[in-house]
Amino acid sequence: MVVAVFIALGLLLTVLQTTVLMVDPLWVAAPDLYYILVAYLAYRFDLLRGMIIIFPLSWTMDVFSGVVLGMYPAICFGAFFLLKGMSVKIPLRESLYQVPMIGVSYLVIAKIVYIGLSLFEQGVPAPWSWPAMLVRVGIMIILAFPLFRLFEFINKRLQRSFISYKVLHVRADNRYRPSENDEQ
Amino acid sequence: MRQRGSTKRSNRYRAFRLILLSAILLTLTLIFLVSTLGSQRFGILHKLIFEATGPMQEVFSGTASYVNRFTREYVDLIGVREENKRLWKELQESRAAAYRNREALATNARLRKLLAFKESSDLPLMSARTIGKDPSHWFRTVIIDRGSSDGIFKGLAVVSDEGIVGQVLTVSPNYSKVLLAISPSSAIDVLLQKSRVRGILKGAGSLIFKLDYVLKTVDVQEGDFVVTAGYGGLFPTGFPVGVVSKVVRKKRGMFLEIEVKPAVDFLTLEDLLIIERERFMKE
Repeated sequence: MVVAVFIALGLLLTVLQTTVLMVDPLWVAAPDLYYILVAYLAYRFDLLRGMIIIFPLSWTMDVFSGVVLGMYPAICFGAFFLLKGMSVKIPLRESLYQVPMIGVSYLVIAKIVYIGLSLFEQGVPAPWSWPAMLVRVGIMIILAFPLFRLFEFINKRLQRSFISYKVLHVRADNRYRPSENDEQ
Repeated sequence: MRQRGSTKRSNRYRAFRLILLSAILLTLTLIFLVSTLGSQRFGILHKLIFEATGPMQEVFSGTASYVNRFTREYVDLIGVREENKRLWKELQESRAAAYRNREALATNARLRKLLAFKESSDLPLMSARTIGKDPSHWFRTVIIDRGSSDGIFKGLAVVSDEGIVGQVLTVSPNYSKVLLAISPSSAIDVLLQKSRVRGILKGAGSLIFKLDYVLKTVDVQEGDFVVTAGYGGLFPTGFPVGVVSKVVRKKRGMFLEIEVKPAVDFLTLEDLLIIERERFMKE
């Protein structure tokens, strides 16, 4: 149920992003809502469920955007594994770094994908623009707070209704990292 | 003895008081009768009464009018809140109606223009509406509400009444993705209208085209019109593309660096036309 709801939510976000939030085809301040969802999945969902949600989300983005198929799955899965890895390995309190990390990971993944595109599909992407990318990152960080709260709210409501999250939760390898209960 | 004397004095005093009061009453009655029925003069007594009761009247009537006004204003205030709500609602409804009317007018004007173009053109055209835009920075595509069930297939030219827009990139039964001409991966054969020299028009990802492969020997001026060449049958010959906005002659290289301002306003793409190539080729 949680997976189905988050897939539907992802589709809704991509539709919003490609219609209402894109004022014109060259609109700079378009927020990448799909990426915020990917980040949330990386921080809060286990590997399997996160990947199941990301598949249709990235395919939808591939349909709506771009001319090279497979670009969005590369971005989404790249970001998912990067953020998941960091959330497990970095021994810091989550709230301190998780939202800024969305912006940093977005820039890193976007740059890697852009270099790949430039190498293998020369002349296909528009020139890289740091100001435009930074604007996008800024908007994403601003929107990450309310969207995370929304996702958290939905997730908790669904968890309460159905199977407990802890039953399906896969524990990280880092056993020395304090668990949520310890922090509380 | 003493008690009898005191009673006698008291009776005398009461009689005197009665006589005095009667005299005063009689006098006043007489004054009243004389002044009222007699000369009809507004005498001193009237004035005295007038002056004595005037301030009282003033105070009472002032208080009454204040109470009256306060009550009325308070009652009004209760009504004003309701009226305010009603007026706000009416205003919002009116604004929404005005917005809808303006939108309808704008749509009407746009569709009329498109229809006029369609009717005046010899080309077999199919109308389509933009329903989505590419959110990435690197690509310039839009989604339209026509697909293979309408006879659309990959490669068909998409235009507007102002000029070329792009070509169909991917198709599903009811929707298609259109690669805009400003996209870096777009390349179109074009002609400089004045000199009839051919070049390749490429998108730059911004609101400017680049015109490549035009030799330095060619006379190109800013303001020259660029039209489609019509090679390959994708676009019809002579369709508006844009106007030359910048010409750079570098010392090195064989070709000019030319920038072209698009004829189409890519920021306001809404209603588009698709050239049905098979019909177009037959005709």
